[in-house]
Amino acid sequence: MDGIQTPLDKKDIWSDAGTTRVPYQIYQNPEIYAEELEHIFYGSSWNYVGLECEVPESGDYRRNFIGEREILMIRKNDGSISVVENRCAHRGAQLCQGLFGNTGAALMCPYHQWTYTLDGELTGMPFKRGIKGKGGLNSDFDMKTRGLTNLKVEILNGVVFASFDHDVVPLEEYLGPDMMQYFTRIFDGRGLRVVGYERQIIDCNWKLQMENLKDPYHAGILHLFLISFGLFRLDQESKCLVDDNKGHSVLMTIKDSEEGNEDTGGVRIAAPDFTLTDHDLIQPLLEFGDRISLSIQTLFPSLIIQAQCNTLATRHVLPKGPGSHELVWTFFGFEDDDDAMNDRRLRQANLMGSAGYVTLDDAEALEFSQLGLAGSPEDEVAVLEIGGKDCESNDHLVTESLIRGFYMRYRDVMGHGKAIT
Amino acid sequence: MDQTEAAQPVTDESILRRIERLQLDYISSIDDGPLDNWPQFFTEKCLYTVVSRDNHSRGMELGVMRFESVGMLIDRATATQHAAVFAPRIIRHVLGPMIVDETGEGYRSRCNVVIYQTSPDGDTMLLMAAQYNDIIVELDGVLKFKEKRVVYDTHRIPDSIVYPL
Repeated sequence: MDGIQTPLDKKDIWSDAGTTRVPYQIYQNPEIYAEELEHIFYGSSWNYVGLECEVPESGDYRRNFIGEREILMIRKNDGSISVVENRCAHRGAQLCQGLFGNTGAALMCPYHQWTYTLDGELTGMPFKRGIKGKGGLNSDFDMKTRGLTNLKVEILNGVVFASFDHDVVPLEEYLGPDMMQYFTRIFDGRGLRVVGYERQIIDCNWKLQMENLKDPYHAGILHLFLISFGLFRLDQESKCLVDDNKGHSVLMTIKDSEEGNEDTGGVRIAAPDFTLTDHDLIQPLLEFGDRISLSIQTLFPSLIIQAQCNTLATRHVLPKGPGSHELVWTFFGFEDDDDAMNDRRLRQANLMGSAGYVTLDDAEALEFSQLGLAGSPEDEVAVLEIGGKDCESNDHLVTESLIRGFYMRYRDVMGHGKAIT
Repeated sequence: MDQTEAAQPVTDESILRRIERLQLDYISSIDDGPLDNWPQFFTEKCLYTVVSRDNHSRGMELGVMRFESVGMLIDRATATQHAAVFAPRIIRHVLGPMIVDETGEGYRSRCNVVIYQTSPDGDTMLLMAAQYNDIIVELDGVLKFKEKRVVYDTHRIPDSIVYPL
């Protein structure tokens, strides 16, 4: 090197070995973005692909993305689930176009009708031997090596994860015991049902979305609705947990034990100017046998599991270039929900999603972030020192330790030099 | 929505004009404000939902908004104006022609709607293509929405939905 460092000396874009300074480059540099797709999404990570209940019948599929690669989650004839890439091994055409559908007993490319098993093995194509001995494939063509990309699949209490890396560690080990505990607190093995979907395109880097759900500090400041109507306070009893690898986390608030009965738990009016005219909107019921009124779990790289009051949802972050992502909300409940619980889930969904009383602010603030950092000088950085410099678990909410933890894991996976606190 | 067998096309021009005026006044309360006027277009107990066609066609009721009383609509109007953080924007509804039938529940009105959104920098984009499926009743000589179901096709929403639709 002759003195000039390019931003692609990636170990050097981090100003030190910690994660209190996050370079703005990683939110906008297309080469760094390309490496994220390769190392994180197509590497040794477990990626969310959907819920088993979304594909109940043989041949049902859900189309989804891991990184920017399209995949299909398919229910096979034997009842198990396969995940294959939605790209024909012939000339790359997309096999299935719907977000959901049924592909029958086989997958067939609409372009030249190359046909695959539901596991992605190539079984045939029209005019394989040509017409009257002319044309077609040579006899040395190996069908076995020309299948669809088949992903490794694991299902945890109805939630389907997949990985491009067949040597990835088992899912339970990937999550670790603390994250498993909170994952199975919500996904407790009961049958799931989808309440509905929301999708939104938010023009900011995908990591800013993950940071937002690892940032309890903003929740008691940005979300005027929660503050004005007394639904969230930064001084609430709370807990922030990070896993050993620091990339996953869960943050939760705990309902005061002296606070009223469970039917109206959590609702208190902080600002007398703003009381809800109709309290039926939010009448939460603690439903998991503990006092946790809000929990947000983030699993590396791109899954958020939310339980706020009785709105349960997975939020799946799909990167769309360095400056944009799609956020897919799958609101769910349980097969044994009664009508009253179904009504609660539908009403409380007003808090969430693209028009949500709470999350509307997030989508807006996240775009402010991307707009603000766009075109910043190469050496400019975000400052993450709220709550100190470490990445440890906490019993308070005024902290950015979960975000610092995310970047510990990020640096490790990206080969940006192992971070230390 | 169920197609009630008794539905009869409304041909009375004066009723059609009044329903059209209701719809235009309704969108004006959102586009031109004040938003505080928006709840008054509904009956005390009502249903206002904004549901993607994707959810709707699969029998899922989940909406980006769902309000069941004027009180809930007032809360939305209040929160939007005083308890939300968002970039300023201008909303513009454009309504298509209305199909109006008379049913046992009231007038059933259906029309296409496209909604544009203009940013502070002056860029206008299509927020959504949608359809209004409404039930309108007359109370003390005033037409009000007993139900307004906004079913939107654009189920990949660009950023956020701030104002009612």
